[in-house]
Amino acid sequence: MSPEYFLRSLLLIILATFSANASNWLYLAKLSSVGSISEEETCEKLKGLIQRQVQMCKRNLEVMDSVRRGAQLAIEECQYQFRNRRWNCSTLDTLPVFGKVVTQGTREAAFVYAISSAGVAFAVTRACSSGELEKCGCDRTVQGGSPQGFQWSGCSDNIAYGVAFSQSFVDVRERSKGASSNRALMNLHNNEAGRKAILNNMRVECKCHGVSGSCEFKTCWKAMPPFRKVGNVLKEKFDGATEVEQSEIGSTKVLVPKNSQFKPHTDEDLVYLDSSPDFCDHDLKNGVLGTSGRQCNKTSKAIDGCELMCCGRGFHTDEVEVVERCSCKFHWCCSVKCKPCHRVVEIHTCR
Amino acid sequence: MAGAIIENMSTKKLCIVGGILLIFQVIAFLVGGLIAPSPTTAVAYTSVKCIDVRKNHHKTKWLTPWGPNYCEKIKDFDEAVSRQIEANDIVFAVHIPLPNKEMSPWFQFMLFIMQLDIAFKMDNDLKENAEITLDVSLAYRDDMFDDWEEIAHAIELRKLKCTFGSPKTLESEGRHYDCDFLPFMEIGSVAHKYYLINIRLPVNERKGINVGIGEIKDIRLVGIHQNGGFTKVWFAMKTFLTPSILIIMVWYWRRITLMTRAPVLLEKVIFALGISMTFINIPVEWFSIGFDWTWMLLFGDIRQGIFYAMLLSFWIIFCGEHMMDQNERNHLSGYWKQVGPIAVGSFCLFIFDMCERGVQLKNPFYSIWTTEVGTELAMAFIIVAGICLCLYFLFLCFMVFQVFRNISGKQSSLPAMSKARRLHYEGLIFRFKFLMLITLACAAMTVIFFIVSQVTEGHWKWGDITIQVNSAFFTGIYGMWNLYVFALMFLYAPSHKNYGEDQSNGDLGVNSGEELQLTTTITHVDGPTEVYKLARKEAQE
Repeated sequence: MSPEYFLRSLLLIILATFSANASNWLYLAKLSSVGSISEEETCEKLKGLIQRQVQMCKRNLEVMDSVRRGAQLAIEECQYQFRNRRWNCSTLDTLPVFGKVVTQGTREAAFVYAISSAGVAFAVTRACSSGELEKCGCDRTVQGGSPQGFQWSGCSDNIAYGVAFSQSFVDVRERSKGASSNRALMNLHNNEAGRKAILNNMRVECKCHGVSGSCEFKTCWKAMPPFRKVGNVLKEKFDGATEVEQSEIGSTKVLVPKNSQFKPHTDEDLVYLDSSPDFCDHDLKNGVLGTSGRQCNKTSKAIDGCELMCCGRGFHTDEVEVVERCSCKFHWCCSVKCKPCHRVVEIHTCR
Repeated sequence: MAGAIIENMSTKKLCIVGGILLIFQVIAFLVGGLIAPSPTTAVAYTSVKCIDVRKNHHKTKWLTPWGPNYCEKIKDFDEAVSRQIEANDIVFAVHIPLPNKEMSPWFQFMLFIMQLDIAFKMDNDLKENAEITLDVSLAYRDDMFDDWEEIAHAIELRKLKCTFGSPKTLESEGRHYDCDFLPFMEIGSVAHKYYLINIRLPVNERKGINVGIGEIKDIRLVGIHQNGGFTKVWFAMKTFLTPSILIIMVWYWRRITLMTRAPVLLEKVIFALGISMTFINIPVEWFSIGFDWTWMLLFGDIRQGIFYAMLLSFWIIFCGEHMMDQNERNHLSGYWKQVGPIAVGSFCLFIFDMCERGVQLKNPFYSIWTTEVGTELAMAFIIVAGICLCLYFLFLCFMVFQVFRNISGKQSSLPAMSKARRLHYEGLIFRFKFLMLITLACAAMTVIFFIVSQVTEGHWKWGDITIQVNSAFFTGIYGMWNLYVFALMFLYAPSHKNYGEDQSNGDLGVNSGEELQLTTTITHVDGPTEVYKLARKEAQE
């Protein structure tokens, strides 16, 4: 590793530490070239982590791959959920990952924080159940109050560990600031809402295994929802997010709805402080890419329709010949045998 | 039988006995609720996708997801596509248990269910009634660095029952199907520390194997085993209960043999009930700690089945023997109508259990529910058993109704009877009503606790104390039926007051004509003396 590279990354860490963006750790998702995070020195080189996160990285090396996978999962899901909107969750190759949109307290920021904390909880839990992590389950909360461990009473669900890790890793930035600024409160709330989206959508499944398979003996467990489902839940919360402002109740600062006629938000709802820009025009200073060049749907009246997507600037229509796969034969994995089919389609792109 | 202890006991003594039994009952519940953990644990496993590279260099047959010599993994199948790995080279590996843990014989059994994560894709849809073929194998080792030893290998077919919640459009690509979980594996002993499951999904387009099963993203397993703590508490309970029931059984049988007459049917049935209870109680499971006895699960089922059949037969015979009509019974053959359904029903369940758990001794991946014929067969057995049970309960209810009708009939004519006859019938009525009461109480308790344990979540918190409801249910109900059998043998044993005193039948003026009519209770030889004494006692009071 060249000293130049090292200096540059050090500079980036410092920059990251002092910028107001607590979601910089999502940059981990971009670091697929680093390979496995298996040495303590790697932690120092990771861009986007604040000092306390680097310490956590060193202490929990085995978990870091899952954190990275969680970040990737979150970004993929965000891009899927927003594929038809003006802001399509596109990432930059620099910090901050999502541009400046997310550094402001917008709805979009709320979603990004929620989905990323959910992503980490999800990926860590998954890694637990596939045996990649050694610290899961038993070390934290053992159910039923008998501490004798696995052989006596089994272990608690892996999700408890996943959520706890997400809490300590993702929330660390806001916690270190003492959770007093309204932005920190908003982030903490949305992080928690993301994890709640998993916890409150756990499926309870049961199996009967008494005499002759009767329900005399019944064992139930909680299964994590697929991440797509978590994304859908959070997207719904995004659409119904509450605009909030800070208010003091006693000596504690809390967020309350700006419009007092609205129902107060629950733990599962997303909250935001600032209204979003319209994302129409290219504005690099604010990290907005604009909708110019985006594909749109001519027949739709919704946000993916050309009318709204192109912000009234109009659109080009091109006839393009695309090669599609057709009459395919699939295996459950890996093998696809298709014929190429040529088709001419109209593609509309915003001016 | 007329001189049962329960008739001769004063109310005060009966209350004391009841109180002592109640204390034991409460202890049984508390042992389960406070000491034992929840009865079972479910552990979720996500399979690791290993690549089988044996073709290149001959390595071991087994692919381990982590630990020493772990396999080459892929994260997802996009990686497999880009690396041109074929479906047949992918092995789903699950190591049991998770890292830093060991399985233990105290877990008694392990059963696994399988969940497939199948993503929807427009052009690779799941076929109707799709079947998945699994090439599964199970291995064990007792040291992290040993080689794996094979336990079983099988090729299994499983039907996929999946639904898709959203419209099947391009928009919903990537969403997962909602699939019912599939029975995967069941073994009746956990004798080793580490287990390994390797699953392959071989594709053969020509034979149509594993074609049209959608895009499989992940295979997840859920392993269920009994908690070691619960097993220990359970064994302790059995070890304590066995001698208690055994002692009362010996005592009871001695009482009967001391009598001048041969034991009557009801006494034999009560004794048989005691034997079947002891059969359940005897803690042969202790051996499962040292030996790899996979048939323990099946054996346990059989033992429970015998006890249930015995208990149901006992109720019928008890009712019959207290019918107070003129029929002479005292033979099992007199009850064929009622006992017949019990025998048929239990036989059906036995066959079903043999087909499921019996076959699992040979092939732990087998399940009767996976094939069309098997499902129908299993359903047939269960339905026949259900019909038998309904039939039985109809008979039982009818008999109870008859007894109550006869009781009310006798009660109206009681004042007109001679004293001895009256007391004799009063004794019968009391005995019947008493058993009726405690049986109903026990049955109601069982049903209530069963419902409570099904409805509520596993444990209740009371400040710092956690009560494991499910464990309390098991130990409490188990203790309760033991106490039931105990009380039965104690209270319905012949009273010792019969012996060593002269049998002054004549004093009572029970003439032979009346005596003939008392045959329903069979034991009129001893009876009148007893009844007479009772009468005297009452007169004194």
